[in-house]
Amino acid sequence: MSNAIELQDLHYRAGKSFAFTNLNLHVPTGSIYGFLGPNGSGKTTTIRVVLGLLRPRAGRVTVLGRDMPADAPSILARTGFVPEQPHLDPTLTVRETLRFQAAFYPSWDRTWAEQLLRSFDLDERLPFGRLSKGQKGKVMMLLALAQRPELLVLDEPTDGLDPVVRRDMLTALVDYVSQREATVFISSHLVHELERICDWVGVMDNGQLITELPMDRFKSGIKRLQVVQAPPDLAGTPFTLLARESNGGACESWIVRGWEPEMTMYFDGIGASLQTVIDLDLEEGFVELLRTFRAPRG
Amino acid sequence: MFDQIDPRSPTPLYAQIATRLRLAVAAAELRPGDALPSVRQLAARLRVNPATVVQAYRDLETEGFVEMRQGAGTFVRDVQPDKRASERARQAVALVRRMLADAGRLGVSVEELHAAITEEIEVRTP
Repeated sequence: MSNAIELQDLHYRAGKSFAFTNLNLHVPTGSIYGFLGPNGSGKTTTIRVVLGLLRPRAGRVTVLGRDMPADAPSILARTGFVPEQPHLDPTLTVRETLRFQAAFYPSWDRTWAEQLLRSFDLDERLPFGRLSKGQKGKVMMLLALAQRPELLVLDEPTDGLDPVVRRDMLTALVDYVSQREATVFISSHLVHELERICDWVGVMDNGQLITELPMDRFKSGIKRLQVVQAPPDLAGTPFTLLARESNGGACESWIVRGWEPEMTMYFDGIGASLQTVIDLDLEEGFVELLRTFRAPRG
Repeated sequence: MFDQIDPRSPTPLYAQIATRLRLAVAAAELRPGDALPSVRQLAARLRVNPATVVQAYRDLETEGFVEMRQGAGTFVRDVQPDKRASERARQAVALVRRMLADAGRLGVSVEELHAAITEEIEVRTP
């Protein structure tokens, strides 16, 4: 399978406080890739490197089969970007903004731009600077979609927007992906939204990609187990034990990864008993993953 | 028809969509020849990945519930009554398993469950 975005051994440093070393990331062509991570973990920086807006110190960035930044113009012609903060001229009207943007993209779809303008209920006569936050978000999404990109890069596109606007934007996004097999790279901390649409998940923390998996594997592997009378020392667990906490008495709560139903047998072997296996949804899995990743190893 | 689709559930979304449609066929809510929504329509309506809808439709096709006609769409096939009945029976077992698992977690005994089921059925059947 080819990758629409590939970062290989990337090194980047911004001042003394933030850096990533050896960042490797793969966004398969045709996937909707959810890029998760807390604020300040490096998501926006990674996105800016992907788009050639920041230069890495070392490593290789390949986007749509070409080298970034050497082939930046041809990559960007095929890539739609919705930034976290709109960067448009506030004095241009919505109509003027559309005309301005269209001039840069030979692939611009005028008919569809008009349809989106209507379905997003935008007033084309208003200057961009006078629009509400939700309307600005919709304009940004419209601009990215109407150029009919092969790759869409969305940086917190729905952050701080109301549920109705978020729904309209995601519906338009899904509609586009079903018309054309585009790749979507979307960062967000609205985890439930990503849970619906993404088929791949990458999790960033503190400049490192701590996991990258297809969504179903990410979700199915992480469980919370209630265990009674487990010995303090465990050897050779068939799963990865991410966290272990006492619930009082002999009862413990374990967070494990790579769980399979047959593994219940393991508990007979160590003289413990497994009470329940609880499924974690994406948000819980994400929180547990970060918590254990940050816990001091000992 | 798809109100119960829950992205937070550990059951994959494609399986939830397929189950819902299988039930609709089993209960004759969907009749032979009826068209399913297009992949594009259903994906946009549920705000899910179009690939998820395609996977659900493919599974249903493999099981013989629907037929995908190139360029025309996906249609419900003529499903024999005994197959419909066995699908409903399968769903009944799934419902009971879920209930037993929940009961176990909450510490409700099998006897207590039995009593509750009997009582509820008496209340609801005139």
